[in-house]
Amino acid sequence: MKKHIFTILILIITLAVIAGCGSKQIPVIGISQFGEHPSLDNCREGFLQGLAEAGLKEDKDFSTDYQNAGFDPAIASQIAQNFSSANVTLMCAIATPSATACFAAAEDKDIPVVFTAITDPVRAKLDSGNITGTSDKLAVDEQLELIRKLQPDAKTIGILYTTSEPNSVSAIEEYNEKAANYGFTIEAIGVVQQSEVTLAVDTLISKKVDCLSNLTDNNVVGVLASVLEKTNEAKIPVYGSEVEQMKIGCVAGAGIDYIKLGKQTGAIAAKILKGEAKASEIPYEVISEYSIYINSAALAKMGISVPLEVSQKAIEATNS
Amino acid sequence: MLELKDVTKIYNPGSVTEMCLFEKFNLSIEKGEFLSIVGSNGSGKTSLLNIICGSIPIEGGEVRIGKRSIDKMKEFKRYRKIGRVYQNPAMGTCPNLTLLENMSLAENKGRPFGLGRAINKSRSNYYREQLSVLGLGLENKLYDKVGSLSGGQRQAAALIMSTLTPIDFLILDEHTAALDPKTAELIMQLTDELIKAKKLTAMMVTHNLRYAVEYGNRIIMMDNGNIVFEKAGAEKEALCVEDVLKIFTDISIECGN
Amino acid sequence: MGVFLDLVVSTVTQGLIYALLSYGVFITYKILDFPDLTVDGSFPLGAAVTAVLLTKGFNPYLTLAVALLVGALTGLITGLIHVKLGVRDLLAGIITMTALFSINLQIAGSNLIIERTVNTIFSAEPAMALFGNLSLIYRKLIVSLFLTILFKIILDLYFKTKSGLLLRAVGDNNTLVTSLAKDKGKVKIIGLVISNALVALSGCIVCHEQRAFSSTMGTGQVVFGLATVIIGTTLFKKLNFVKGTTAVMIGSILYKVSIQIAISLGLPANLLKFITAALFLAILVLGKLQKGGVKKNA
Repeated sequence: MKKHIFTILILIITLAVIAGCGSKQIPVIGISQFGEHPSLDNCREGFLQGLAEAGLKEDKDFSTDYQNAGFDPAIASQIAQNFSSANVTLMCAIATPSATACFAAAEDKDIPVVFTAITDPVRAKLDSGNITGTSDKLAVDEQLELIRKLQPDAKTIGILYTTSEPNSVSAIEEYNEKAANYGFTIEAIGVVQQSEVTLAVDTLISKKVDCLSNLTDNNVVGVLASVLEKTNEAKIPVYGSEVEQMKIGCVAGAGIDYIKLGKQTGAIAAKILKGEAKASEIPYEVISEYSIYINSAALAKMGISVPLEVSQKAIEATNS
Repeated sequence: MLELKDVTKIYNPGSVTEMCLFEKFNLSIEKGEFLSIVGSNGSGKTSLLNIICGSIPIEGGEVRIGKRSIDKMKEFKRYRKIGRVYQNPAMGTCPNLTLLENMSLAENKGRPFGLGRAINKSRSNYYREQLSVLGLGLENKLYDKVGSLSGGQRQAAALIMSTLTPIDFLILDEHTAALDPKTAELIMQLTDELIKAKKLTAMMVTHNLRYAVEYGNRIIMMDNGNIVFEKAGAEKEALCVEDVLKIFTDISIECGN
Repeated sequence: MGVFLDLVVSTVTQGLIYALLSYGVFITYKILDFPDLTVDGSFPLGAAVTAVLLTKGFNPYLTLAVALLVGALTGLITGLIHVKLGVRDLLAGIITMTALFSINLQIAGSNLIIERTVNTIFSAEPAMALFGNLSLIYRKLIVSLFLTILFKIILDLYFKTKSGLLLRAVGDNNTLVTSLAKDKGKVKIIGLVISNALVALSGCIVCHEQRAFSSTMGTGQVVFGLATVIIGTTLFKKLNFVKGTTAVMIGSILYKVSIQIAISLGLPANLLKFITAALFLAILVLGKLQKGGVKKNA
């Protein structure tokens, strides 16, 4: 019996030593991504592009250690601790749970954390300390304006969101504040878990909303395809908030290009790596450019014609 | 002492499988009596014990101890005055606890189980003394888990445990049925000695007609929820196994068994 | 080597904090033989209450006591649903767990984050005065070690009391408990109360350590607890001098270590659960082989 335990312990120690000795001389960026879905993947891709554009070459000027937590907060925290123990030069956190985990793990060593894909860093309390990043604040005004142009007679906009996601809660607040300016009322339904999303869609449909507008809510985006199935049947157009959502089948949206957002994040990280500024000195940046994306096929199915002023600026989002 | 008055027991009342076992059943047991109950399967022997202990509800009548009805009393509370040994030796002991722990539990029956120390080492000698009477060597196994003991040893321990504290009734539910003949004989003798030494009132359900005839001072035979044969005192003393067996077979033939 | 040491320290710390949850599952699953799913709700409840109290400026050490208390309450509720309303054990736990999901969100509002300026049990006074010269990860280790060992000792002592012995008897043979003129339902409730108090305490400390509460942090904690209990008790089955509490504590550390190894080796997170399952199976089979070995020797 004792033998077994010792075998296991020795195995563990050996593995850990191998793992621990991999550190190199060049700066290491620990990238912690909460889970894998297209938007978050785009953030990471953009982040690496941003570093490259700033003149930093991977494997020469820096190396990366990419980990994703599979949407499990406990794993996110172990990943963060792993980075902290390994004394990475900088942590890049994609999505809120990863950012809070990284920030907590970096507390003692004061490793700079650069986050992205967080809608409301203030609410998430990630706005002070050795931390900075980019916020994917939704383009609410642009979105409402777009919907008004495409559906001049629409009155009610339905929105689905997760009540425990601070990002979504603050987005709903903003929608409620601004909807009246464009002559809309908001019908928002909160869920607590992903399995309730499709039920909530049924409720929205039964309330005869004129259209749905999407946030970047992880639970909702995760089952967007099945949401669209139901809304297509009911002939209710769904507006997206990010290019990937239009690719899945949302009709149009004023959205963020997460690759761009990632690039902006990469540029910030480059500044920190080059020693030009400290994370604590750089205020977080809110993405300033939004694009209008349309999915013409989806629009045609809904019988929505696109006015020229929209189609001129819009980018066609298709799965290429 | 113990009295069942007009007890009615219906299984699955209100359903198609409704079965009336007892209808206005009466039985009384006097203090110091050792009653043996025999009867074929399904005759109501075990149901009778379960009704007394409160393990199953009754649909009519009442169960009294002394003058007091215990119908409203919950099962666990009735056991304050009742000790029970089951057919399955595993039922009377905790297999993953040591014999010492089992004995300590049994000795604390009737008292609060608070935050005091469970094991009082100074009681070990007393337990050894109690166990050595059995002659099974259990006195040297205080620190063994009960699960590692043989069926006979466990049943013996269960018997000692159920009578370790003062009780009014000892209920023996086919308690030798799962043992080999030699061990069964030994456990039966021990039971008799214990009942005599502690002057207990006892009810024993058994399929072993010889035990029912040899031990105790009263015998009843049950069939379909009725007492069909009863002997006590000197009449019972004169009874032999063959007599009982004949009656038993007659009833069985009547029932088409 | 320093890097490696830090990694070991922070992983062991995780294992120690979660060991409190494992103690709880050990009591219900191993001792009471009660598959209690309340854990998935009482764990985040401990964290939710802690997060709210910390942001309101309460003494961080006070949150430990409050978490124990609210956790105990959830155990009481599951116990009453099971014993008094006659709902099956598994379902009683599911009912409480489901209700707690809403209650937790009601308490915390939404997912909460505790600012760095707020002191936790790892950075508030007594801990700082005693180990202020140590770095945070070592303070975390010491405080967690202290709490985990403290509750292990308390539990071990409790199991030796009459009440504790009766608790062990209920899981072993509840007929005997009835024969002892004791209400087995009441004993089960006591077990559930103690168990969930410890689970909530674990959630509380995790909240201090993570500086965050998330509504989904309870998901899968029962499974984690069961895994650690089985890992621990299987590995130490043959060593009678190793107490159950010690065994599950080591089980919890081993579990977190294996996850950390998987991360360090760069295995994708999507595979982590699979690795957990494989580890689980390996340990169970290992336990079986040992049993077989003993038989051969006998």
